[in-house]
Amino acid sequence: MSAATTARPMSVRTLTGGSRLRAGALIVLNVVGLMAFLWPFALPAFTGGNENHHADGPVILLVLLVCLGTLLFVELGRGGMGPKAVALLGVLGATMVALRLPGFVAGFSAMFIIVLVAGNAFGPSFGFLLGAVGTFASGLFIGGLGPWLPFQMVAVGWVGMGAGLLPRTGSWRVRIWALAAYGVAAGYLFGALMNLWSWPFLTTGSAVSWSPDATAAENLRHYLTFYAATSFVWDTFRAVGNGVLVLVLGRPLLGSLDRAARRMRLEVGGDMNVTPAPSATREGAVDVEDPAPVLGAPRGVPVGR
Amino acid sequence: MTEALRVDAVSFRYPDAARPALVDVTLEIEEGTFALAVGPTGAGKSTFLRVANGLVPHFTGGSFTGRVLAAGRDTLAYPPRALADAVAFVPQDPGASFVLDRVEEELAYGMENLGVDPAHMRRRVEEMLDLLDIEPLRGRSVRSISGGERQRVAIAAALAAGPRILVLDEPTSQLDPQGAEHVFAALQRLVHDQGMTVILAEHRLERVAGQVDLALGFDEGRVTAGDPAAVIRRLAMGPPVARLGRLVGWDPVPLTVRDARRLAGALPARLHPVTPAPGDTRVELRRLSARHGDAGALRDVDLIVGEGEIVAVMGRNGAGKTTLLRSIAGVHAPASGTVQVGGHAPRPGIDAALCPQEPESVLFAETVAGEVAVTLKARGIDGVRPEAVLMELGIADLAAHHPRDLSAGQRLLVATAAIAAGQAPVLLLDEPTRGLDPEAKERLARFLRSHAADGGTVLFATHDVELAATVATRVVMLAGGEVIADGDPASVLGDSHVFAPQMTRAFGPGWLTPEQVAEALA
Amino acid sequence: MHPGAWILWATCAGMVTFTTTNPFYLALIVAVAFFVYAAQRVPGPTARSFRVFAIAGLITLVVRTSLVFLGTVDAGNVAFAALEGARLATLLIVFGTFNAVTDPFGVVRLAPRRFHEPALAAALALSIAPRTVAMVGRVREAQTLRGILTSWRTLPSLAVPVLETGMEEAVTLAESMDARGHGRGRRTRYRPAHWTPAAVVVSVASVVAAGVFVVAAWTQRGDLHPSTSPLAWPQVQPALLAAIGLLALPAFAPRPREEP
Repeated sequence: MSAATTARPMSVRTLTGGSRLRAGALIVLNVVGLMAFLWPFALPAFTGGNENHHADGPVILLVLLVCLGTLLFVELGRGGMGPKAVALLGVLGATMVALRLPGFVAGFSAMFIIVLVAGNAFGPSFGFLLGAVGTFASGLFIGGLGPWLPFQMVAVGWVGMGAGLLPRTGSWRVRIWALAAYGVAAGYLFGALMNLWSWPFLTTGSAVSWSPDATAAENLRHYLTFYAATSFVWDTFRAVGNGVLVLVLGRPLLGSLDRAARRMRLEVGGDMNVTPAPSATREGAVDVEDPAPVLGAPRGVPVGR
Repeated sequence: MTEALRVDAVSFRYPDAARPALVDVTLEIEEGTFALAVGPTGAGKSTFLRVANGLVPHFTGGSFTGRVLAAGRDTLAYPPRALADAVAFVPQDPGASFVLDRVEEELAYGMENLGVDPAHMRRRVEEMLDLLDIEPLRGRSVRSISGGERQRVAIAAALAAGPRILVLDEPTSQLDPQGAEHVFAALQRLVHDQGMTVILAEHRLERVAGQVDLALGFDEGRVTAGDPAAVIRRLAMGPPVARLGRLVGWDPVPLTVRDARRLAGALPARLHPVTPAPGDTRVELRRLSARHGDAGALRDVDLIVGEGEIVAVMGRNGAGKTTLLRSIAGVHAPASGTVQVGGHAPRPGIDAALCPQEPESVLFAETVAGEVAVTLKARGIDGVRPEAVLMELGIADLAAHHPRDLSAGQRLLVATAAIAAGQAPVLLLDEPTRGLDPEAKERLARFLRSHAADGGTVLFATHDVELAATVATRVVMLAGGEVIADGDPASVLGDSHVFAPQMTRAFGPGWLTPEQVAEALA
Repeated sequence: MHPGAWILWATCAGMVTFTTTNPFYLALIVAVAFFVYAAQRVPGPTARSFRVFAIAGLITLVVRTSLVFLGTVDAGNVAFAALEGARLATLLIVFGTFNAVTDPFGVVRLAPRRFHEPALAAALALSIAPRTVAMVGRVREAQTLRGILTSWRTLPSLAVPVLETGMEEAVTLAESMDARGHGRGRRTRYRPAHWTPAAVVVSVASVVAAGVFVVAAWTQRGDLHPSTSPLAWPQVQPALLAAIGLLALPAFAPRPREEP
């Protein structure tokens, strides 16, 4: 009789196949990605002031896109997902796309709830994938492709990943409230990050603009003013919306997803090798786990429990 | 002749399951056989089909004993993807299994996975389009084609990679009679002209029972393989001709209309029984016209239905059946004409309750009883216990189950209970027998009869001729949005070629059910 | 035309836009973008992207200009802000064209082998989404008929059936994919997207145009950023105008075959 029969949350260790090198590389990549968002604060430290930064504009953007592109490239290009993960991504991604259609109510986008609950149910690796793929698909669907897409994909991916790192054990109340709080925080953070990377391009030469000559503290002050004037209201709608949706829908949706994980035998990072009896005798029963890992571990690399 | 499928002492239990799904199954299916898996729901048919292509145990997990050789390959050593070029699998709802958008590309998907070179792929795609008679559909989106066409596309897509074994899970459960015909014709071609091995599981045996070479009777995980007549004879719920055979004591039972006629000889025309006059008028449609894109418009429909009637609304897809029901329910506004239920414009859900085509779209509670309780609460009905409603449908024993854990038939009964709990006098059901096993159908029929006997009114849209023959007091035929026939089942169904029940086909108009015929022969 | 060529075109046009705030250049870019859109738009939901982006561009222009009022206000500052806004608006319009001319499935199909699975997931999301939308409508109607009206408190009655049915369909889908050999090994493509001569020409032209503008930016020639204090009439250089003209080439590429 098979031992593990429920989907277990995936630890960061199994996310990386247990390899320390991989873990390190992943962390570095994500930090680089974060730098791409925070570049207005980080850049002056690197360049030390440049007169003609107008010409740098497109080049900077290209560099940022390359950084994020690399992150996405590695995360999405790992392969070995298997039909179950792809099918889940497709169906959940479709829900994200469908939820984006009604349009925004002042920044609130219902598609976040999917990423939040699915990330929480299926783990951080899946959460990131869903965030990235779902955002990409909805961009395609509503015809909203542009240079902001990699930023959006990574940002929503991070929302999903974070949701997967939240506690999953314990009582339902703890789980739901933790997720709701995270949803609120993520709503603001997402907005702040998405504004931040484009802020310098949008506001050159005004009182709230970025300047490569200014110190990080000055830039921060400028940015906060800009943020308060533009994005804060939207982000509040989003954050509050996320929180409310989690409180209202979190438990039933998580219940459904947990059941689906059980039914699909999602052994996330569990024992993955089938041991077929070469000539099974009538007496011997073969206990079979799903041989292909659903998410995360690269193909061919055995994943330890 | 070699074996296509060889099963040796296979037992299997799903993870977390109390009882095994398959118990000590041993059988052989030779190449070129047309095999049929029959038996009640939950007896192991679906599991067996998945054993043939390795989904059990690789996809599902669980505890597996024994050995299966599919096209000579051991399914324990070969996971499903390694068997993709040997065994083709078509699930019950092919629409959910499509991966790409255009038919042509969907056909090529399997071959892409197998690394077939593009030139060869092009040729195979053309062959499959011709073989399944779907060439006109090649550039269409899979979403835009009919149910029968979808099944054939799914079959073509599964076969494109070259397997010689085709496994289908209830291919015609969602189809209208024409669609089912096309699918069975295609399967016949595959077996007889191409020498393929076809294994299918079905509940609706009327059309297919007489065409198969081998039947596999499933009963609680155990399988008896043998001559179709013998196996089907043992079924509680077989096709009407087989049921007739059992009632009258024929052995072997007839499986086709022709066999039945030969065994019975001619029968006199059946006097149409006097149908009881309907009670007060409950539903009245006068010159109703309605517009609706896909579901079919209605044109100048006149209809009067009284208390105690059970009306079967029949017709092709797109004839307007769903629009009719929705108009009566009050959710579809008429373009002209009037709809009156109980003497006034229908209040949605209060005067007439509608059970939609996909009953699971209403299930969201944690327990079956809870599902019914939700409706009771929403309608403000006190003093009725959910269990009482469940008892009317014969599913009181399911009260504590999670609705999503149940079979398709049980889900329909739960949905019907949840909707009937609203105590609307008029009950509307849209295609209730889609994917339904005979036991659930029987329970539903009993419930509809008792609802009508209590003074309620029932209208249901269906393709299922046998259900109409058994339970309806009246049949209304729609075509192109107009009523083309309206009368008692014996005359309306007796008059139709496409919609005639098996007994009518065998013995003439007026004969609707095996029980009637058996009585006459006794 | 190969989607890769479109991506390259959009990127280069975007870069060109990014390097300048000269209103004449910007206006010409907008004209070119509209021209390409009119000639190559793909019918379907993405067709209205152009209008959506154009409106978004207009809004951005207005917002950006009004940001000036947070600081000192004079003719020069307002002009500066307006030009910045115009640049952003032009950028949006370029992407409006890009969205209107690309077939979403085409973009997904061109994914390299490494990304087959996420690309497939995106394609699945695109195909399944309309079904999901329709399902939400049906569930809503069915629940209303039961007496459950849609509101905050009854959201689960709407969301759970949709999700549960989706999960069940995911199982069927996964089974079907598994049985058809998903993940088996090296894949081939049924109709690989070919780089037509038109696509090559467009790609080269786009890169050249971008290159011209980047060089101009580095060498600070061509009046890419007309002075706003003091306010001066912007100048144009014919070479740069010609470079923008290169970006109009996709309009002349042969249109793809129409499918029903």
